[in-house]
Amino acid sequence: MSDILLSGRGVTKKFRGLTAIDDVSFDIPHGAIYGLIGPNGAGKSTLFNLITGYHPLTSGSITFRGKVLGNMPIYRRNQLGLARAFQIAKPFPALTLAQNVRVGAMFGRPGDKNVERTTQEALDVTGIAHLAQRRAGELTVGDLRKLEIARAVATRPVLLLADEPCAGLNPTETEEMVRCLRAVRDAGTTVWLVEHDMKAVTNICDRIIVIDAGKKLAEGTPHEVVNNKEVIAAYLGTPVDDLPAHTP
Amino acid sequence: MNRFVILLLTAVAALLVAMLPILLGPYYIRVLQTFFFFAGLGVAWNILGGYAGYWSFGHTVSIGIGAFTAAWLGLIFGAGSGPWSMILPVIAGALLSGLFALVIAYPLLRLRGTYFAIAMLGVSQVVAELVNNVSIFQGGIGVFLPSPVPSGMPVERFYYYIFAVVLSLLLLISWWVKRSRFGYALLAIREDEDTAMMLGVPTERYKMAAFVLSAVMVGLLGAIYGYSLGYFTTYSVFRLDWSLNMIVFCLIGGIGTLMGPVIGAALILFLTQVLLGGFLDLHLMITGALVVAVILVMPGGILRTRWRLPGRMPAREGAE
Repeated sequence: MSDILLSGRGVTKKFRGLTAIDDVSFDIPHGAIYGLIGPNGAGKSTLFNLITGYHPLTSGSITFRGKVLGNMPIYRRNQLGLARAFQIAKPFPALTLAQNVRVGAMFGRPGDKNVERTTQEALDVTGIAHLAQRRAGELTVGDLRKLEIARAVATRPVLLLADEPCAGLNPTETEEMVRCLRAVRDAGTTVWLVEHDMKAVTNICDRIIVIDAGKKLAEGTPHEVVNNKEVIAAYLGTPVDDLPAHTP
Repeated sequence: MNRFVILLLTAVAALLVAMLPILLGPYYIRVLQTFFFFAGLGVAWNILGGYAGYWSFGHTVSIGIGAFTAAWLGLIFGAGSGPWSMILPVIAGALLSGLFALVIAYPLLRLRGTYFAIAMLGVSQVVAELVNNVSIFQGGIGVFLPSPVPSGMPVERFYYYIFAVVLSLLLLISWWVKRSRFGYALLAIREDEDTAMMLGVPTERYKMAAFVLSAVMVGLLGAIYGYSLGYFTTYSVFRLDWSLNMIVFCLIGGIGTLMGPVIGAALILFLTQVLLGGFLDLHLMITGALVVAVILVMPGGILRTRWRLPGRMPAREGAE
């Protein structure tokens, strides 16, 4: 069996006239922490929506653990080992944290008998076990993000897609989140995350994919990526010196 | 210990329910019979509306289908009398009502929130009109059901016991659903359907199961209610106000809780039938005002409100 966990070939998504994702290909191997970065509106969340099945592809294909995902329903993708933490945390507000996480543990791998143990492990690895009996609606942003990860982890994913897990967190919380994602990876789950916080990204990711305006711009180690001219141009704009001279 | 208390309370309640008809006059036995019926409707609605968060505004369609199915079976097979003759028509009423739900579930459960609620309202109206106007259904002229009441037994007592047993059965099912995997799936659907899917919950399947189960429960009650009427037309069973009553019972008692619908039904019936029985021209107005007041003061219903004794600090919120 190949080492590639998730791969996309020519992934394209058009919303009416607008091409949101344009012929993007990628290979995510086992065991890494991958980054997905790009300016606002580049299509990062859309790409995750395509992988998890919230939108159908316009063309191209996505393969996960050797299976072409095609029209597979969202819940089946999760049961196959694909989990996602949303950018805007979507807790079940009326349920306690333990109940929130238990839903993932119950349904992520049907037939599993160790629901309680899985729930506890997911609460522990994300560091929110002490809040287990609180209602999700009462949490702070930082704890909500951890809950988002905990719930996803409870489904025992092979690959976790985390959409901006550090958005809106203060530096301390960001550090905790980075530690938490590392722990998840060390427990055997491959992580692919969208992130704006460049410090967090370069700190945690083994490799980074950059997209801009729906197209793949670059891929490489954090060091390669932050020194890539095209990437710098996409984020900061083209330096004035490089512009073609104005001819009168 | 807690378990023991609950068991004890249940036993006391069961004994009380069994003994009451001996102590009470026919009018109050009838009020209680209606209470069991309405509480049952609330419990059934609560499975879909309270647990799964899909509010149906047309659940009486299942009462109608249940009642008419029982009556048609009686007409076709000339069902005899005696309590056992009820069993087949009543089960058929429950099942047909479930089958109907299964058929409409596929298109309807794609709608969410208000759209689903209104669609159900539409479905109940359409079915009622069909039953009323298509002559083979006989809804316009009405249908008869033979009395299954054993000779020598007062009618109100017979239905009192039947509805008491059925309500207990429905409560048992609701309790089982709430604590099962199925119940967890419904809670997740209510809270956030998209997220539930992403956590591996096959939402379509569970929504459909809740819809059908709820319809079977209401159909069962409807068929028995049809028997208790003996003769009825379309609008005695397809009653729009009952669709709303089911919701109100749950809202008042505590939506999504096991006993909420029962408490809500008890309160409303006590008010309308007992306290306000003498003010028929005013009772709807007072009931309406009460519903508004309860929802404003206790948005979660009676069971979800944190009760605290006057003069004591709130238990947990502390730290101020």
